[in-house]
Amino acid sequence: MKKFLALFLALSMMLGCVALASADELPVITIMFHGSNVTDDSAVLEKVNEYIADKVGAKLEVIWGTWGDFDQKAADALMSADETVDMVFTCSWSANEYNTYAKNGYFVKLDDLIAEHGAELVAAIPASLMQAATIEGAEGMGIYAVNGYKDFATQNCWDVNVTLLNELGYTLDQVKEMSFYDFGELFAKAKEVKGDSFYPFLVEPMVLERMVTNSIIVAGDAGSTNLLSLYMNPADVSADGAYGNVLLNKFATPEYKAFVEKMHEYYEAGYVNPALAVAETSNDTRTNTQLKAEYLIGTQSYALGYEYTASAERGIEVAFIPCTDPYVDTTASQGAMVAINSASNYPVESFKFLALLNSDPYLMTLLNYGVEGIHYTKNADGLIEFTEKRADYTPWTNGMGNVTILPDTAAEGAGFRKSFVEYYGGAKAIPSLGFVFDNTSVANEMAALGNVAAQYALALDAGAVDPATELPAFLAALDAAGMQTYLDAANAQLEAYLAK
Amino acid sequence: MIAHSVKRRRHADLNSFSARTQAVFHLVLGLFSLLCVIPFIFVVIISFTSEESIRQIGYSFVPQSFSVQAYEYVFDLGDALWRSYFNSFYITILGTVLSVIICVLYAYPLFRKDFKYRNFFNYMSFITMIFGGGLVPTFVICKSVLGLSDNYAALIVPLLFNPFNIIVMRTFFQTSVPMELIEAATIDGSGEYSTLVRIVVPIVKPGIATVALLNALAFWNEWFLSLLYLNKNMDIMPLQYLLMRMQRNADFLAKNSSIIGVDAALAARELPSQSLKMALVVFIVLPIACAYPFFQRYVVAGLTVGSVKG
Repeated sequence: MKKFLALFLALSMMLGCVALASADELPVITIMFHGSNVTDDSAVLEKVNEYIADKVGAKLEVIWGTWGDFDQKAADALMSADETVDMVFTCSWSANEYNTYAKNGYFVKLDDLIAEHGAELVAAIPASLMQAATIEGAEGMGIYAVNGYKDFATQNCWDVNVTLLNELGYTLDQVKEMSFYDFGELFAKAKEVKGDSFYPFLVEPMVLERMVTNSIIVAGDAGSTNLLSLYMNPADVSADGAYGNVLLNKFATPEYKAFVEKMHEYYEAGYVNPALAVAETSNDTRTNTQLKAEYLIGTQSYALGYEYTASAERGIEVAFIPCTDPYVDTTASQGAMVAINSASNYPVESFKFLALLNSDPYLMTLLNYGVEGIHYTKNADGLIEFTEKRADYTPWTNGMGNVTILPDTAAEGAGFRKSFVEYYGGAKAIPSLGFVFDNTSVANEMAALGNVAAQYALALDAGAVDPATELPAFLAALDAAGMQTYLDAANAQLEAYLAK
Repeated sequence: MIAHSVKRRRHADLNSFSARTQAVFHLVLGLFSLLCVIPFIFVVIISFTSEESIRQIGYSFVPQSFSVQAYEYVFDLGDALWRSYFNSFYITILGTVLSVIICVLYAYPLFRKDFKYRNFFNYMSFITMIFGGGLVPTFVICKSVLGLSDNYAALIVPLLFNPFNIIVMRTFFQTSVPMELIEAATIDGSGEYSTLVRIVVPIVKPGIATVALLNALAFWNEWFLSLLYLNKNMDIMPLQYLLMRMQRNADFLAKNSSIIGVDAALAARELPSQSLKMALVVFIVLPIACAYPFFQRYVVAGLTVGSVKG
């Protein structure tokens, strides 16, 4: 009996192992996306494969990477030269960072393929995005990934709870005239009206710092806690900032000092929720409090049309007051791309597919929104309304490529994609667009500095600690960890880049 | 007679403690046991805590209000939950049975002094404890050479052979199975397989239970293999990975929200609540907590049972 049992178990396992060989002649190309929430893609892929069989000459399979597991999966697939993964999402902020991986030869150089099969792609993607993807890779200067036309301009805004603001007797126009340093009056009033347990200032501390000091992220800088700042000109984002095109230790500037001192004042006055100063609870607290509309002013990196979504889901009137015009920097312009794995057996088919995906509205809609009649329906105005089935098929819209060819949804309103193109297409580039700091020569310093910054920066930015004592200690610790070496390396590279 | 009783009393004294010492021991051990169960009790309480209460006062043993919302959500997960629950059981049971068989079959010859290549095989298993292949080479071997991807085998095979368990098993053979017994069996005409299955295995049941427990825990808790080898066929995802994925999504979005912007805020809203995570932990812990006492019986029995009496 036991023998039979063992035999049965062994057999059942072998059955699990045997992958049935497909009798289909078309090659299978596989693409790995980021940030998806997809549990059932069968209906979509069936339609996609019907459609691309002639146009691309291949069958598509998709690996739906999620926010949490994409980094590991993508790095494994690329580093192990896994030929079963043909195309991989890449960008400036994921583990398979575009510039590094292109330099190390993990991505196929696309220039020849673009010349041969990419006419439609070139027509669909703005030249500035092609430019942003042109970098020094393993096979010389060129394009190593198809850059998606998404919300690639950055605009940091004050997120204002207008409903509460009016309740307090202020108008939006009054707030527009104010700066971060004048908000105290509003907060005091809010505290007075809403009681002691109400925290009017709901911030992402790191974003707030950039908003107040008008500094921007430098691509290639230490990941979650940035060390370098490039100060921009808030009046004209395409002009040089107050310090010119020089990278600075962001924690050593007078702007930073003034910011953290004021922030500490706000914190001490009880305007900021202490949970925001703790890395583990910061994001959860922010999301929850936002949804409950229990704030007066917050920070938000803007995306076009977000005020409508935000107002609807929070049940209040939300307005976003921009700190600067939208600007295009390296990080955001390399925000979502798809590269072809250099181990792929079908680079030509893969490229044809990417070109089609980014230029053909039918295919993009199908892969992004699902199948009409199953995942969405069109209402009388021709706008898309999602059905319940959409919950099983929710890819990350902006991570897929050219989203400007998508139809408008009912939630976004008619004409959304048109204004999308106007808004992002009209965004100005910062002077050093395209510069990526290659940190390999100072990787050790960066790791050490990142640890120091992780210890101090969030608490300082949130105002939880006294800058009079903590800021000097922080700066001393940064110096000891090699901040100057790090800065010098970065500035030398920036100079060389701008000289070109 | 008197002398005898005195001796007996002294003997009894030696094995007993004063009431005070007893009390201290009970207190210390009681506190220790309490420390062991408190985290779990805390998790159960949090899973029944309402979201509102978590937001207001954080995790607490005495929440402001209770709710079964998290459990309702878990049951609403429906198919996904039960399927991954089934997968976890399937992988654990199949994996444990196979790995125990492999472990016993490998450890038995290592214990037999008359096996010529004993040292070689000993070394072969031991060396893998010290040197690993590294993640990427292991991944390449498993995926490209062995075809372990998107199937149950990918979640079972990499954990089947465990050198530590083999050493445990071999030591158990050495301490509880006398060579004389095997010689006696041979003289009585028993073949090698028959000796192993009929004579040796019944003696080392407690050892097998120990190894089985270790293996079952390893299989039940495993999520990293799913992360590595499951790409397209998510239907065979075990429960641990379902939970781990939620956790990793939340962590990632928290860390990168300032770079991803609005998309991250929108995605974060879809994430399960704190109490839901704890409810899933309860689901994960329960079966293994139920399995423990069962195994423990054998493990304790192993301390008192022997094959050669007297």
